[in-house]
Amino acid sequence: MTDDEIKDIEKRTRQYFYEDGFIEIAVGILFLMLGGYFFATVALPATSRIKSWLDASFVLVILAGLFLVGRLVRFLKFRITYPRTGYVAYKKKEATPRRRAAAAVSGGVIGAAFSVLLAVSPSVRAWLPALNGLLIAFACHLFARRADVMRFHILAVVSAVIGLAVALAGIGDIKGISLYYGVFGAAMIVSGIVAFSLYLRRSRTDEEGGHER
Amino acid sequence: MSADLRGLADIDRVIHEPARLAIVTILSLVESADFLYLQREAGLTKGNLSFHLAKLEEAGYVSIEKTYRGRVPLTLVRLTPEGAAALREYRAQLREFLKKG
Repeated sequence: MTDDEIKDIEKRTRQYFYEDGFIEIAVGILFLMLGGYFFATVALPATSRIKSWLDASFVLVILAGLFLVGRLVRFLKFRITYPRTGYVAYKKKEATPRRRAAAAVSGGVIGAAFSVLLAVSPSVRAWLPALNGLLIAFACHLFARRADVMRFHILAVVSAVIGLAVALAGIGDIKGISLYYGVFGAAMIVSGIVAFSLYLRRSRTDEEGGHER
Repeated sequence: MSADLRGLADIDRVIHEPARLAIVTILSLVESADFLYLQREAGLTKGNLSFHLAKLEEAGYVSIEKTYRGRVPLTLVRLTPEGAAALREYRAQLREFLKKG
């Protein structure tokens, strides 16, 4: 077996988790929900109780969304992917104190930078969709490098373009953010569906010799 | 046999076999994988895969767990620490041999 063949096996094993497109579909649904959330906070009257509740529960919405994404992906994989092409349990990366600290610091710095920017220059609000798009694009790019999946690089570009387009269209602030998440969420769902149909075409249900796996 | 080739003669023949090398390579990257995944990725028939897994289990390089998911039987395969060490050793030997070449 050549070195290239071994590297190919390693690459396909790492990529397998993303092959069915379920991650993008689930995260795309989460982004659509976020888009709806931001739209509701802007569309509802300032005196509305629902608006007050929504404003106060942003973190809860994110956490609930992430939880649901995890559950949805797991459900779809167990129902569709694993019976079709097999089950793999990946090694869990240890959440060392150093990793946790790095994640907390970087999240804190980004959040603080946004707050300072908005306080110092309120006109930056007009560029919020573009900034958001670039941030998500950077995250997609990092993810693409880690997962070695080309379509995540494409999603990175799409995110940056959507964010910029919304800002240049003069739709800034929370309305723009809402539109960004709605459109990019839809783009992720489309990407996931395309990946899923390619996955279905490449694979077939194993029916040889009964159900043994 | 020349000194160079003698190094290759000591190579772990359990892992050196291409199908088994593919299996342990996959398992070195994951916590566990089921029979179906290994069969598809290694491009083997069920009988072939069973044969190679038996060889690897006999050598102590993999552990095989037969369990159930709901009512569906499931065969999970894991690389043992001995298997991981053997794969590292194999790769080091091969790199050394290729460097000399």
